[in-house]
Amino acid sequence: MKSNSSFLVQLQILTKRMVLRVVRRPLAELPNLIISAFFLFVYDGALGGVFGGTASGTPFDFAKGNFINFILPVSIVSASLSGAASGIYLVEDIESGVFKRYQSMPISRWAIILAPMNVGALRVLLQSSLILLIGIIIGADPAVGNIGFLIVLSIAFIWGMGFAGYSVAAGVKSGSSQGAQAATFLFFPAIFLAPTFVPREALKGWLETAAAYNPTTYVIEAMRAVMVDGWELDVLFRGYLSAGLFAALTLTLAVLSARKATEKA
Amino acid sequence: MLAVDVKNIKKTFVSKQDNVEAVKDVSFQVKQGEIFGLLGPNGAGKSTTILMLTTLLRITEGSASILGLDVASKDKEVREKIGVALQDTGIDNLLTGRELFSTTCRLWGYSKKDSEKRTTELLELVGLMEAADRRVKTYSGGMKRRLDLGLSLVHSPEILFLDEPTTGLDPGSRRVLWDEIKRLRDNGVTIILTTQYLEEADELSDRIAIIDEGLVVAEGTSDELKAGIGGDVITFAFENNNDLESAKNILKNTVQEKNELRIKVEDGASKIPIYLKDLSSNGVEVSSVSANKPTLDDVFLEVTGYRLEGSEDITKEEEKGDR
Repeated sequence: MKSNSSFLVQLQILTKRMVLRVVRRPLAELPNLIISAFFLFVYDGALGGVFGGTASGTPFDFAKGNFINFILPVSIVSASLSGAASGIYLVEDIESGVFKRYQSMPISRWAIILAPMNVGALRVLLQSSLILLIGIIIGADPAVGNIGFLIVLSIAFIWGMGFAGYSVAAGVKSGSSQGAQAATFLFFPAIFLAPTFVPREALKGWLETAAAYNPTTYVIEAMRAVMVDGWELDVLFRGYLSAGLFAALTLTLAVLSARKATEKA
Repeated sequence: MLAVDVKNIKKTFVSKQDNVEAVKDVSFQVKQGEIFGLLGPNGAGKSTTILMLTTLLRITEGSASILGLDVASKDKEVREKIGVALQDTGIDNLLTGRELFSTTCRLWGYSKKDSEKRTTELLELVGLMEAADRRVKTYSGGMKRRLDLGLSLVHSPEILFLDEPTTGLDPGSRRVLWDEIKRLRDNGVTIILTTQYLEEADELSDRIAIIDEGLVVAEGTSDELKAGIGGDVITFAFENNNDLESAKNILKNTVQEKNELRIKVEDGASKIPIYLKDLSSNGVEVSSVSANKPTLDDVFLEVTGYRLEGSEDITKEEEKGDR
């Protein structure tokens, strides 16, 4: 009959329950996916003509003839921000009292916190994969071969988990879904204070300086390296390092704030 | 062994602005198999007391044990023994009743097969079998409360904590839930419930503790509490407001409720003619008069100095210390 469930069973059950919640409100989930694909098409439509094949032989040929390869990382990075939904999911449970129900049961506090992070991770993978798929359909072709897609996906995953951690920390700290939502405003400085449309060296002085301090820069550059330039291990290393450090920092913040939230008042 | 043993617990919420003593000093004991009611108005400290006993809040001072297990040091063991349906424990509206039961069963450690069986048992127990595969957001308030009660019973707890289980329900749904709570008690479950409804406390509780401003101000069975204040309550009704105002000056130590004045006396039947004579000789017309044994309402008034329900309509005519 009944015996105490293990941590892994608890995590699996709570994750499954949260996945059910997500798939049952597609209208709340779809816009994020659509907007990432939308940006991909808009960027390609607006800038592909200038920086695509026609730029060949000019100083603007940084896309090396395939602007989709150049711009795809931007859409992937914006799709990976969907990891920020983790904080919103968690805060929804706090606000609705479901969190308290689980706290009144002999189940692990960490399973309660990790379940929304798991779902955030799944969202990042799913959204990034779909954007990659669209990219492949409209002509993305990594300079390092198909393994480039996996590299891009893995960086996006780590980066997305960084945002998941940030949103959980912000959400738990504020105790409101607005607080967790606010985490997504990081999108704008993260994306636009970076070499989004042109390489870093083509940015104006102040923006180039800002971009140098923005970890997104290194994430996008690492993705671009495998998509456009080929094996540039130092660039790749900087990309993984930036994403990894960002994720480590925010996940630590998430753990610290979650620990406080699950402590008895 | 006592089901619940609470000794002088206190809860102080500390913030930068202020320290709030939500529970000042609460002690009570609950025997196994009884329904124990914590009666009090909003903000009296009932829910905070329940949160401490269910391990969700730290006790600032004092101690409490559940089936001999200290709530502070054995919180995990305590959680295994208790079922909890609190005002602020939520239900996931996007899942169906069946999914919620099976998820909760699995979290309590039931195997997949056993959780299906237990889910069916509980859906039948709380009368939600027909709505089992509907999302909870389509349930009525009464159905949600029954679902909540069912979820708190998944692991067959020995002790059940219900925080204002019928607040906001219509009388019919309230009655259904009362019957269910009594049936659980008859099956040996100890129940601690909070309520702000006098009728609910009277109907359900084997024993009652009245909580006011973080303190237990009275405790006993409903009959003991009523007998404790003794005497009778005479109620005078008036059609005319002038008569009512005059009567207030003539009769001492009355409590006004709408167009009625109530007065607590020994041997009401013998006092009525005397009061009526006094009023009549002063030209005051009384539309009706009756003498009754005290109700729980009167007990509450006696021990707290105000009425629990509709207290805004009450004009207190006497000082608490005068009674």
